[in-house]
Amino acid sequence: MLEVQAVSKTFHPGTPNEVRSLRGVDLQLAAGSWVIIIGTNGSGKSTLLNAVAGTFFVDEGNIRLAGRDVTRWPEHARASLIGRVFQNPFSGSSPSLTIQENISLSARRGLRRGLGWGLNESLLERMRDEVSRLNMGLEDRLENAIGSLSGGQRQALTLLMATWLRPELLLLDEHTAALDPKSADLVIALTEHVIARDKLTTLMVTHSMHQAANLGDRLIMMHRGQIIHDFHGAEKRRLRPDDLLARFEELRRAEQLDESAAEMLAERYI
Amino acid sequence: MSLLIGTFTIGFILSLLAMGVFISFRVFAFPDITADGSITLGASVAATLLARGLSPWVACVAGFLAGMLAGACTGLLHTRFKINALLSGILVMTALYSINLHVMGKSNVPLLSVTTVVTQSEHVGLKLAHGATSFNLAGWEVSVRDASVLIAILLAVVFTGSLLYWFFRTNLGMAMRATGDNSQMIRALGVNDANMIVFGLAISNGLVALSGALLAQYQGFADVGMGIGMVVWGLASVIIGEALVGTNQLGFTIIGAVMGSVLFRLLVAVALRWGLSPNDLKLITAAFVFCALIVPQFLRKKRLRSAHA
Ligand SMILES: Nc1ncnc2c1ncn2[C@@H]1O[C@H](COP(=O)(O)OP(=O)(O)O)[C@@H](O)[C@H]1O
Ligand SMILES: [Mg+2]
Repeated sequence: MLEVQAVSKTFHPGTPNEVRSLRGVDLQLAAGSWVIIIGTNGSGKSTLLNAVAGTFFVDEGNIRLAGRDVTRWPEHARASLIGRVFQNPFSGSSPSLTIQENISLSARRGLRRGLGWGLNESLLERMRDEVSRLNMGLEDRLENAIGSLSGGQRQALTLLMATWLRPELLLLDEHTAALDPKSADLVIALTEHVIARDKLTTLMVTHSMHQAANLGDRLIMMHRGQIIHDFHGAEKRRLRPDDLLARFEELRRAEQLDESAAEMLAERYI
Repeated sequence: MSLLIGTFTIGFILSLLAMGVFISFRVFAFPDITADGSITLGASVAATLLARGLSPWVACVAGFLAGMLAGACTGLLHTRFKINALLSGILVMTALYSINLHVMGKSNVPLLSVTTVVTQSEHVGLKLAHGATSFNLAGWEVSVRDASVLIAILLAVVFTGSLLYWFFRTNLGMAMRATGDNSQMIRALGVNDANMIVFGLAISNGLVALSGALLAQYQGFADVGMGIGMVVWGLASVIIGEALVGTNQLGFTIIGAVMGSVLFRLLVAVALRWGLSPNDLKLITAAFVFCALIVPQFLRKKRLRSAHA
């Protein structure tokens, strides 16, 4: 479904701010799989998702999605295949437009937009139906500006919008990190529901070890722009939050060791 | 009375400018200075065609299209060549000065004895009035000519405003509004936001140019300097309109722009009546917009401070 082949991305190359955010990442996703991504801050998780979504072009490597080579497709063209939810709950909707206008925009993701009426009765009916199932009381407020809603409400709607038309690939980037625990649980429940219902192929970054252990059927761990662990099948199912924390601790120690070794070498030879 | 009707008429004509400025500044949050040039472009294209004997309708449509082209240029400079928004507008506006001179062939084109939208609506009005040249409105003597021009312009504004309201609720129009609001989101929904900006600025400047085309016909000439400061003028109208309607619902904001334009024109007429020198008009307009931008911030700070105290 998704094939990321030897993808590298360096920001600000050749300047003091140079960051090698992705260093030869390979990743193959089978159709219908739900892959969780964890990793330390700045390890390149968001960059990987952005590379897939086409926020920027990669320096090296190829990206194939649903049988097509999308490496040189601009972001808006890839959107016909991809549904996205961002970490910032305000990034996924247009604040001054109403709830129904926002949803109707997502109902034409990747389709031509002409002078046709954005809202029709059958669309509105499905909106009322799906929005009422969020149990947030928003079905009576479809004509309110979406900017007047809370972060949790907006994130739930963004998820609804991202999957309104079934995407070939769903990208979730720490989409509950900015929410209060109750909203986060709601959004996670909704996430599980839509992924199961539409059998979506999903790439989900999370900061929560609990989510990482309990969700998805595969888990990858990133560090310094590379994938350092990849747990499948039974191995993934056995993982507990503590195991994951232990992996982070291991990384931290290895880093400290690297640093002290470097210091020692520097002292001796410089 | 004639003066009052004239004030309203110009207010309505300039409300098309206000709608254009509303689109660029408010819908797209794009500080587009092109309007200073495109209002003159609309005027000079229309005046030149009228002087050649073409129909006023053709002149208005041509003015509108010329303005669209100018707006599209600004949009392309910004989106394709990544030039700063303000600078893109300044570049096109500056280029338009020469282009306007070329279009007119001189710095001023008078429209004295040609058929214009104004003479046509006067003609229709006089016909409907069965030969009367004035009528009595609540004790005021109103000239049929003045009234028919006002009504014609009002109809044009209502038509354009409704069209805009309709457009911004179509799939394409909604995508445009969302582009100004949250471009990251609209790209993720498969919209080429760069194209939206180009097209949106084209519509904005088309309206501004149409306003110029009508203004030239109303005042009876097109002049290469007539656009100076018009962006600020339009912005003042938009700001007044926002204060008047007090909501950012689409329909109300469009009506607000029209009301703001007329009210601002009235204020200016009163100020001139009271002895404000026309030379100071731009200074006062700029000062007004400055205050309108600063006062809300100032009030907010004050409120915060008193909340802390
Ligand atoms: N658009 C960008 N411009 C410059 N640097 C970036 C950009 N995006 C990410 N980076 C850098 O790349 C590194 C990885 O970032 P990111 O992928 O956001 O990490 P995370 O794993 O926390 O999501 C960081 O050092 C970050 O500063
Ligand atoms: Mg991140």
